[in-house]
Amino acid sequence: MSYSDKVIDHYNNPRNVGSMDKKDADVGTGLVGAPECGDVMKLQIKVNPQTNIIEDAKFKTFGCGSAIASSSLATEWVKGKTVDQALEIKNTEIVKELALPPVKIHCSVLAEDAIRAAIGDWKKKQEATKPAAVQAAQ
Amino acid sequence: MPGEATSSCWSCGTMRAVHFCSSCGKVQPPVPVDYFTFFGFPRKLNLDTSALEKEFYALSRRLHPDVFGQADTRERSWSLEQSSMLNDAYRTLKDPIKRTEYLLRLEGVELEEQSKQATEKARATGELKKQVVPPDLLEEVFELNMHLEELRIQKKLGEDDPALLEEIGKAKLSLEEKYEALFNELKTEWNNWDKSVDNGTADGTNDDRRRILDKMLDVLNRRNYVRNLVRDVNEALEN
Ligand code: FES
Repeated sequence: MSYSDKVIDHYNNPRNVGSMDKKDADVGTGLVGAPECGDVMKLQIKVNPQTNIIEDAKFKTFGCGSAIASSSLATEWVKGKTVDQALEIKNTEIVKELALPPVKIHCSVLAEDAIRAAIGDWKKKQEATKPAAVQAAQ
Repeated sequence: MPGEATSSCWSCGTMRAVHFCSSCGKVQPPVPVDYFTFFGFPRKLNLDTSALEKEFYALSRRLHPDVFGQADTRERSWSLEQSSMLNDAYRTLKDPIKRTEYLLRLEGVELEEQSKQATEKARATGELKKQVVPPDLLEEVFELNMHLEELRIQKKLGEDDPALLEEIGKAKLSLEEKYEALFNELKTEWNNWDKSVDNGTADGTNDDRRRILDKMLDVLNRRNYVRNLVRDVNEALEN
């Protein structure tokens, strides 16, 4: 199977590889896996709590080239978006952008799952800290 | 005619594909049957692999292209098709994991489809998709991968860190144990499945079967991760 140029580009120059502090209240972490192949992907976002804009995103993927490219692209796409906008990203858009063949669709699904999981984690933290923030304001 | 394509045993009802005519012995056109039927086995997971092997060698000999050098072109091409199906069927059924995966597919359990649908549902409802493997296993997989990456870098630099090696060695042992335990878990489900095939007429069987199939899928999913990790650990330690 041959990879598209875009996949190869992301694979060779992955954007935003790295990690952020999982415990930071503004950071959301999504750790997901594709059982078909056993690959794992971690995607983290840092959200500005005032604007709900994702200001930074990092990923680390242990998996195939398409999974690395999908998650690299996902971090590029979520940056600058609000949380709600980021939730609209669909795996099919990733498939299209990277010209992934049918056997690699699950790699893009993994990236969408990772975005959702990261946002879900962030939201959970927001809810957990809200009462404290309200108390602090009083 | 489908009536000629398979025959069923008078006693147990098991179907099998007909490869040769029973009166003149000529190769029959292959019919799309599942691999169990191809060999005349019931759709069970505990399979007598020595019987399978015997059957495979007997059929291979009879279907071998050399036997059909002088045969009519139709018979020649059917024998080729039958042989290639024979090989696929044998390779799939002989391997316990491939056999299980094959059965799941036959029973309509499509792993990738399920995952895609779950993602679509999460998108539509805003609820979080449930990961098919437990989070702590994912965590473990991720952590170990990080360690392995570190190890590879150190090796490249010609350094070595006994603490890291020890950590990885320990992880390896625990993974191997897990791997074995998962296989045993799978076998338990095989037995449950086979039992449900035997009591095919009992009420509530369908729900039961579904549950068993899902359980097998779950075991295979976890096993995939563990298998990859064991492979990667071994690779990293060797190089
Ligand atoms: S092959 Fe599994 S994520 Fe790409």
